[in-house]
Amino acid sequence: MKRKKLTALMTALAMTTGLLAGCGGSDGKTESAAADTAGTETAADAAKTEEDAAKDDAADTDTEEKDAAASSAAGTGEAVTIWYYWETEGHQVALDQVIQDYNGSQDQYEVTAKYVPFADFKKQLSIGASADELPDIAILDSPDHASYVEMGIFEDLTGKFDVGNYYEGTVNSCTVDGKLYGVPFGVNCLALYYNEDMLTEAGCEVPTTWDELMTTAKALTTDSVSGLALCSVQNEEGTFNFVPWLWSTGATSYDINNENGIRALTYIQDLVNEGVMSKECINWTQGDVMNQFIAGNVAMMENGPWQIPTMQSEAPDLNWKVTLIPKDTEYSSVLGGENYAVINGGNVEGALDFLTYATSEEQVKFMMDKFGYISADKNIAANQFEADSPYQPFVEELNYAMPRGPLAEWPSVSDAISLAFNQVITGTATPQDAAAEAQATIDGIVQ
Amino acid sequence: MNRIRKWFRYDNVGLLFVLPAFLYMILFVGYPIVRNVILSFQDVNAGNLVRGTKNFILFENYLELFKDNVFRTSLGNTLRYTVLCLVFQFLIGFALALFFNQRFALAKPVRGILLVPWMIPITVTALMFKLLFATDIGVINYLLRSLHLIDKNIEWLTTPGTAMFALICANVWIGIPFNMILISTGLTTIPKELYESASIDGANKLQAFLNITLPLLKPTIESVLVLGFIYTFKVYDLVYVMTSGGPVNSTHMLSTYSYKLSFEMFKYSKGSAVANVLLVILLVVGMFYIKITTKGEED
Amino acid sequence: MEEKRVSRNKNIILCIVSAALLCLLLFPLYWALITSLKTEQEIFQNPPTFYPHLLNLKSYAAQVETGDFNMFRSFGNSFLISAGATLIAVVLAVPASYGIAKYHFRGRKMMLLGFLVTQMLPVSVLLTPMFIMFKNMHVYNTWVSAVLADATIGIPFSVLILKNYFSSIPKDLEEAAYLDGCNRFTAFVRILIPIAKPGVMVCAIFSFLYAWGDLAYGMTFILDQEKRPITAGIFNFMGQYGTKWSYLTAFAVVTIIPVALIFIFMQKYIVSGMTNGAVKG
Repeated sequence: MKRKKLTALMTALAMTTGLLAGCGGSDGKTESAAADTAGTETAADAAKTEEDAAKDDAADTDTEEKDAAASSAAGTGEAVTIWYYWETEGHQVALDQVIQDYNGSQDQYEVTAKYVPFADFKKQLSIGASADELPDIAILDSPDHASYVEMGIFEDLTGKFDVGNYYEGTVNSCTVDGKLYGVPFGVNCLALYYNEDMLTEAGCEVPTTWDELMTTAKALTTDSVSGLALCSVQNEEGTFNFVPWLWSTGATSYDINNENGIRALTYIQDLVNEGVMSKECINWTQGDVMNQFIAGNVAMMENGPWQIPTMQSEAPDLNWKVTLIPKDTEYSSVLGGENYAVINGGNVEGALDFLTYATSEEQVKFMMDKFGYISADKNIAANQFEADSPYQPFVEELNYAMPRGPLAEWPSVSDAISLAFNQVITGTATPQDAAAEAQATIDGIVQ
Repeated sequence: MNRIRKWFRYDNVGLLFVLPAFLYMILFVGYPIVRNVILSFQDVNAGNLVRGTKNFILFENYLELFKDNVFRTSLGNTLRYTVLCLVFQFLIGFALALFFNQRFALAKPVRGILLVPWMIPITVTALMFKLLFATDIGVINYLLRSLHLIDKNIEWLTTPGTAMFALICANVWIGIPFNMILISTGLTTIPKELYESASIDGANKLQAFLNITLPLLKPTIESVLVLGFIYTFKVYDLVYVMTSGGPVNSTHMLSTYSYKLSFEMFKYSKGSAVANVLLVILLVVGMFYIKITTKGEED
Repeated sequence: MEEKRVSRNKNIILCIVSAALLCLLLFPLYWALITSLKTEQEIFQNPPTFYPHLLNLKSYAAQVETGDFNMFRSFGNSFLISAGATLIAVVLAVPASYGIAKYHFRGRKMMLLGFLVTQMLPVSVLLTPMFIMFKNMHVYNTWVSAVLADATIGIPFSVLILKNYFSSIPKDLEEAAYLDGCNRFTAFVRILIPIAKPGVMVCAIFSFLYAWGDLAYGMTFILDQEKRPITAGIFNFMGQYGTKWSYLTAFAVVTIIPVALIFIFMQKYIVSGMTNGAVKG
């Protein structure tokens, strides 16, 4: 009986450990399977895409081609992986197109792109850096670039790319200590969109100064319409939308607790107190702001050019225009966009080869067009749009746009700035106190 | 051999039942715990995450935290949030469990359907509540206005106090089915005969509840509360999606602040220190739980 | 415990009350459903509409495939991950909770504390070390990593809940089994598990749902869009390009439906499993 008991227990234990081991075993299998399913998976995908294509013919031919190209090239080239964060389908398709064309053009490298959501992107790069599991190329938000350079995961690209014609700000965003650690993908900046019908109806001119903007916004505000909206969330996205107002007064990102900085904070607070800007803005992403604009709940908004394709397709009848962000003492905007970075220790040759291809004029033009971005190359940007294109004001605005940072500690500075603006918007601090608090934080970071 | 056999004869056999699960947890979570403690005593940031020396600075991260306003707010928020959520979801869940324990036609199907809030990924729930609580387009403000309870829309998510209230509402909504089902299941372990003999002895329903239901349900209640405490205390997704800690940091919790420090501001060590404070508080709660549940046992 | 069947009048009242409760508690779900059927313009309308004035099904069409995201494939992934995590959690937690409930071995308290502690870390600090481990185990970027990680949520939960069931089972029942020739293991399998069935059922359900709702693990440990769980799809409808409420709520509805269907079809087994296993004795 005792022996029986013992053996039974041992079996029980063996069963459970066996289960664990079973997991381990199957892990190995899946892993190795994963390594060589690239071909079969894409084949399956291709089959599926064919079905889809049969359903809605023309739309899917792009992807079908892409899959066909992938399966024909699979296994032949060295792998080069890219991480990016654009969730817009148009962006993904455009990038895929460039990648597939590249893969089809040569046999040495096989590029694949992986989507990592924007909210997860920094986390995934941090974790990947700790675990030494990074892609070969990252396409990242420009203000974060310096932090990762500091982390030491980016390859020095000095002398490998000609960035002489690029907008200075974008090149600065990937330059640390005189060395180039990335290549600008494309640029954007913020400008003021306005609903032309609403302006005409209210008999307003397009505002060019802060005072005019306040008057216009008041005239446009009704029970159901806010005069102005700008994304005010308390993170980098909010900072992006705040700094043009800050900089317009002559204040800098690092020097806020002065007459200029306080004036900027006071102005934004007045917009809310006068009821022309909804407090809800602190919960609206730039996309949400656009949705409110499309819905006709907002008459003017600060936003970027990447919204244009969406606005044109979702609200084709909406009559809107774009102008410079009204100024206090000087016109000012903020430079946004992504940079390519090459990860050191990865497939550097392959990454460079792909980047050389992707930064060629033809590819840049194609992607910028699909993305609603402006080329980081001044020469390309100059002729990128027709004179009456809605993008043209953004090209003009770019002349006044400055980058955030570059600074490895930018996330902390940005946090202080967005907090100060959020404090005045919610009325939890006076502009003076908010400026003083932000300054104290910033002084602790930037000596 | 004899000694081994002897060892197995007694309660030690229980160890064999427990060990696989225990080792599994140690394997996957033990290392993170140790790593996190070490990290919190170092000065790891973007500059030395991958290369460079990681200096031990001992308690400096912790000392810095206690001077940090946002940390103090998060600590207070987490405690307040956890206690309030727990009280409401437990009481409502308990009441519903008792209500549906009565045998009427719809009892079982309705109780089953009430589990649905639990099936929705928390991120989706958070977004749904964000929509419900929106100032201008939110249906909650609309209903309150229609009932003439308010004249002006309440700015739920953009005012510090009400933002916390909205978070608590969402969490209670998710927590009710959790409490209800666990208590319902706990009720099934109470033998019916006890109530029958109690009613023969002339006990009324309240007496039966106080003298039979509550004492016999004690282990379940303790588990539900301690688990509820742990899950609520380390709430992350819900707050991150609904308010991201805003407005002006007024709804930051320890977990969201830890995440922000680690993954948005590259202050890995400081983020770990925040997580450890969270861990230590939960550890105290856990030890208290073990103490009351194993009271009177030797060992 | 289960009370006696109620009288006819009381039955009607209780049914009405429970229906009212249902409406109140499920209102957010109703709101999600109708929001998913509205156009974006109507969603932003003030005052809000309580049923879609213009039926919009575009949001559902968008669920099927957006970019690399395929809803059906993601469902399969989520199902696989949740089932795997549930299996591990139940197989490990059921004996563990029995051991904790019925045996007073040395270190029992410590182990109980261990199960509590191991679920106390917030995700922010779990992700990196787990990632490193999964990479070394060569399961990074496979669904196995999500299964292993999700099981760590289910196990401690199940142990703490189930131990109460096992302790509520009278000792004489077990002893009777021994007299019938069972050893401790067979008594556990043949006598105790069936009695603790409601608890096991609840633990399985909760483990499944924890894994089903997981986003952080699935996103961090699985990089290929085609292997990610259904929850990852949420990123297609929110983010820097704005929250598309109709798409998002449609996504919520679509993610709930299969789980809800499973529950409805298995209601008989689940609900009876949860509540009818009362201890007789």
